[in-house]
Amino acid sequence: MTPPSRRAFVTAATASLLVGCGGGSTPPSPEPSGSAPGESGESGRTVRALGRSVPVGLRIPAIRVDTRVMRLGLDPDGAMQVPPVEADDRAGWYRHSPTPGQVGPSVIVGHVTVGAYGDGVFRHLARLRRGDAIVARLENGTSARFAVSGVRTVAQADFPTEDVYGDVGRPELRLITCGGPRSGDGYRDSVIVFAALSAGSP
Amino acid sequence: MRRTVLSALAIACTAVLASTVPAVADTSPTPVPATEAPSTAPTQAPSDAPTEAPTEGTEPTVAPSKAPDASEVSVVPSGAPDTGVASTDSDGGGALIGGGAAAAFATAGAAFYVVRRRRATGA
Repeated sequence: MTPPSRRAFVTAATASLLVGCGGGSTPPSPEPSGSAPGESGESGRTVRALGRSVPVGLRIPAIRVDTRVMRLGLDPDGAMQVPPVEADDRAGWYRHSPTPGQVGPSVIVGHVTVGAYGDGVFRHLARLRRGDAIVARLENGTSARFAVSGVRTVAQADFPTEDVYGDVGRPELRLITCGGPRSGDGYRDSVIVFAALSAGSP
Repeated sequence: MRRTVLSALAIACTAVLASTVPAVADTSPTPVPATEAPSTAPTQAPSDAPTEAPTEGTEPTVAPSKAPDASEVSVVPSGAPDTGVASTDSDGGGALIGGGAAAAFATAGAAFYVVRRRRATGA
């Protein structure tokens, strides 16, 4: 071996050692794939869903509604309960639906009229237009702000159950009351407001 | 030349022996602590840690798989909510008001007729 070849050998050996050591640092490559659960990049949605918190109040500035919200369940016949007919009318949240801001259609109902007491809390619900704001105050002190995406008046006989209660995969809100012409001691139609979460405030 | 080579070899051999003697002397007491301490501690520690970590990682994958099964509205009510009690009482109230007004008008008319008749008859 001539001196140059010795140098070459030493250099090659050193290089192979360095490469071998560097190879030990290649395992970090799985980390990026492991951080793939950072699919939390889904959080890149415009609005994040909120945690569960029961609504205690509802404000609809466009129709000057500011009311307390009670909890409602089901009657024995399977129909949704409604708030009591009284002078101090208020809205009611259907407790088998998500709370406002959770993923799914949160359902809040209110009377259009309360018999001898006159107008109900949702008397002017049909006047809402696309983009109008609805703010639900939650039990934990936060609020969920929704924007109206549509208003429909449908015959109660053809109530769109799937559109109202079906899965939607994002935080939405449904406000329901009666509407249309009177029939007997009630109303022929239902007014349904569809809204989507626009912001959640602390 | 030979002397120098031999002396160099001798020096090299003594140097090697001098370095190996303490090594041999060290080997007798060290084997016990040297082999046990490093071998057991490091081998067990890493083996436990990696085995538990993956099991924790599997839990999140189970949770999301259950979520999609449940409907967002757990119980769907039947029919439309009955949220409109028409103010039928208001019609009755209107009738009462109308009736009262008619009665008052009739009473006033009768009184006017009686007074006028009395005046006409002679008072």
